[in-house]
Amino acid sequence: MRAGNTELGYGGGVGTGALAARAITIAVAGNPNAGKSTLINAIAGTRLHVGNWPGVTVEKKETLFRAGGRKIRLVDLPGTYSLSPYSEEERIALDYLLHAKPDVIVNVVDATNLERNLYLTIQLLELGIPVIVALNIYDEAQKKGYRIDCPGMAQMLGVTVVPTVATKKKGLDELIGAAVAIASDPQPHQPRELHYGHDIEVAVRELVKQLARRYPGLLKRYPARWLALKLMEGDSQVMQEADLRDTGLIDSVVQHLRAGHDEDLESLLADERYAQAAGLAREVVRKPELRQREFTERIDRVVLNRFLGLPLFFAAMWLVFKLTFDVATPFVDWIDAITSGPVQRWVTVLLAAAHASAWTASLVTDGIIAGMGFVVVFIPVIFAMMFCITFLEGSGYMARAAFVMDRAMHAIGLHGKSFIPMLLGFGCNVPAIYATRTLENPRDKVLTALLVPLMSCGARLPVYVLFAGAFFPGHAGTVLWSLYVSGILLAVLMGLIFKRTLFKGESPVFIMELPPYRLPSLKGLLIHTWEKGRHFLVKAGTYILTVSVLVWCLLNLPWGVEHKKDSYLGKAGQIVALVLAPLGFGNWEAASSLITGVIAKEIIVGTMGEIYAPTVAAEPAPKAPSVGAEIREIGSSFAGAVREAGANVFSTFGVSSMALPEEEGQGALREVIRGAFTPLSAYAFMTFVLLYMPCAVVAVAMRQEFGTWKWSGVAVVYQTLLAWAVAFCIYQGGRLLGLE
Amino acid sequence: MNLAQMQPGQTGRIREISVTGPMKRRLMDMGMLVGVTVRMGKRAPLGDPLEVTVKGYRLSLRKGEAEGIAVEVAP
Repeated sequence: MRAGNTELGYGGGVGTGALAARAITIAVAGNPNAGKSTLINAIAGTRLHVGNWPGVTVEKKETLFRAGGRKIRLVDLPGTYSLSPYSEEERIALDYLLHAKPDVIVNVVDATNLERNLYLTIQLLELGIPVIVALNIYDEAQKKGYRIDCPGMAQMLGVTVVPTVATKKKGLDELIGAAVAIASDPQPHQPRELHYGHDIEVAVRELVKQLARRYPGLLKRYPARWLALKLMEGDSQVMQEADLRDTGLIDSVVQHLRAGHDEDLESLLADERYAQAAGLAREVVRKPELRQREFTERIDRVVLNRFLGLPLFFAAMWLVFKLTFDVATPFVDWIDAITSGPVQRWVTVLLAAAHASAWTASLVTDGIIAGMGFVVVFIPVIFAMMFCITFLEGSGYMARAAFVMDRAMHAIGLHGKSFIPMLLGFGCNVPAIYATRTLENPRDKVLTALLVPLMSCGARLPVYVLFAGAFFPGHAGTVLWSLYVSGILLAVLMGLIFKRTLFKGESPVFIMELPPYRLPSLKGLLIHTWEKGRHFLVKAGTYILTVSVLVWCLLNLPWGVEHKKDSYLGKAGQIVALVLAPLGFGNWEAASSLITGVIAKEIIVGTMGEIYAPTVAAEPAPKAPSVGAEIREIGSSFAGAVREAGANVFSTFGVSSMALPEEEGQGALREVIRGAFTPLSAYAFMTFVLLYMPCAVVAVAMRQEFGTWKWSGVAVVYQTLLAWAVAFCIYQGGRLLGLE
Repeated sequence: MNLAQMQPGQTGRIREISVTGPMKRRLMDMGMLVGVTVRMGKRAPLGDPLEVTVKGYRLSLRKGEAEGIAVEVAP
């Protein structure tokens, strides 16, 4: 039962002519954890559009649909507790309400926690925009024995109040109907003015009078009473926007207020608003005398337990990690097999039929299709990761995870929630970058994202396996372990450095609600996951394709060179090799491989194979199967992937061993590499691969998350310098110790 | 006595908030105002942050901030 498919009885007939043609804009505001997302998902369904607010990392959800014969645009504002100018979310919400001037505000209120939710409601009422209160999570409030007087509340606030249960889609049609009715009503729907007590009210009236006389233009742009209150509060954002030259005006009005109360006005107004909220809540809610120990408290006795808290947290994290990567891997392999197998073959056949030249064919198959392959293989991982993260957030466990982990993460300047992106980084840095969106503070987000690439991802493993296998056959495990640990230690070090340099003076806030546990709806989870995956495909895809084509050009141009050394890549490698010489691997082969590793680090091995041992790569082309057979094969291998993913879900709960993957057919390559590197330079090389710039996909992911290339740039520069410095210390230090 | 010194299960009234700037506003927006009753809940397994119940919901904050909140513990 979607609102969009239902023609509502009321409200539809009122708007006529031009009014009816214009879309109604409804802004949805409310506290985090009040069920706002669930409500939006339930109304929008698959028509939900997820993007970002301009220039910031905060998510923007929007949907367009028809109801009551009117076009409706529903805009989800970031979840906020207030409308003060101190957080990005609050600034965005206020900015939108003031400047986009929506027709109606739907304020989603958690019926089980009226007082704190009404604090925001009171601020929304002051904006002079019609407000509808969606009294959400109404069923839970009833179950707790709360009796809420909705008509009384509606009367006291001067707004429509609609009880809703977003998770069960109850009350949503009524909500939208009420919004349409109000927006279509030619009568103004001004919410009631709530009184702040005599002294403040006198000052507000005086200030409005003065403003009207001195700055009449301002009152046309902003609601008068609201503006006066904000100026009294000293709200920096409003002060700046209003651009009052004469601040003495405000001082003269509030002087006696300040004298009469020793608190600052900001506190005084916050006090008054909470007093109003408390009064309202007292009036309209009847709570049962006896309070039972709640479900959430019972769970938290275990989850936040002093002894069990951390083990349970690590168990949960292990589960997230395994589910993300183990479930995704069979699908990654499946997609990879399709793009590099049948798709390549079909395109080759088509190109041959079109008499395309050899270099066009190579560009299309090795550049474009391979590039597309790089993008699509990430989809399963990103889907699985988003699903897990959204579940953790929706269920309420994310706040607990942050609570449990904050002490440790705070030590290196991070937030408790930074742990999850860091952990996912060991699987793949790309979903890890996207996972930083779970952090609210922009500083925490960026700092976490900058450190994530130091977590050694799965793509670096083939390089370690090749080198450790060739040089340290008896101690491969120890070498691998040392690389992972170096990454972590360097992340700690860089965290401390960044905290004191790039992010100096910015103190992160950790004042966070521990919301009640709730079961997120599967549909909501799926919608959100799908939107994220789609977004990645479109946005990141374009950039990655470009990089892939560029690398193809480097590798293959000038067309027809006999030896790879004469290609642009080889030439670039010869130059880069000069810089790498002090690290012990100053040869063009190693340098060229590192350049191609920019797309994805596992390519380093492939390039080395091509450069060092080209004969190995040339295998006789098997007879191409028919198109029909290939399609059947894709279908059956998909079924296989589903089975394998399913099996992995269960084996996740069992014990699996972390075995070194055995690479086949690398014997020849190992031989050549043993001639080109020493054990010392091989170790320096592995460290360099661990640390040097994040792959292109990570850089693009950072760009997408932060809306600017700045932080991708910082990551590329600092990591490459760090890699060089560390490899230098290892190689030169090792030589001094006589290890070579 | 400040909030960070309260024992789990103790209830107290906020007497003064000496935290300043955005952090203070954030605390106020979350209902931590002078005169409000708070109940101390758990500490995180590593000792910091802490959890308090205020205005009928649960809030977590770091020890550093809690030290700037003076409380009067109910007898």
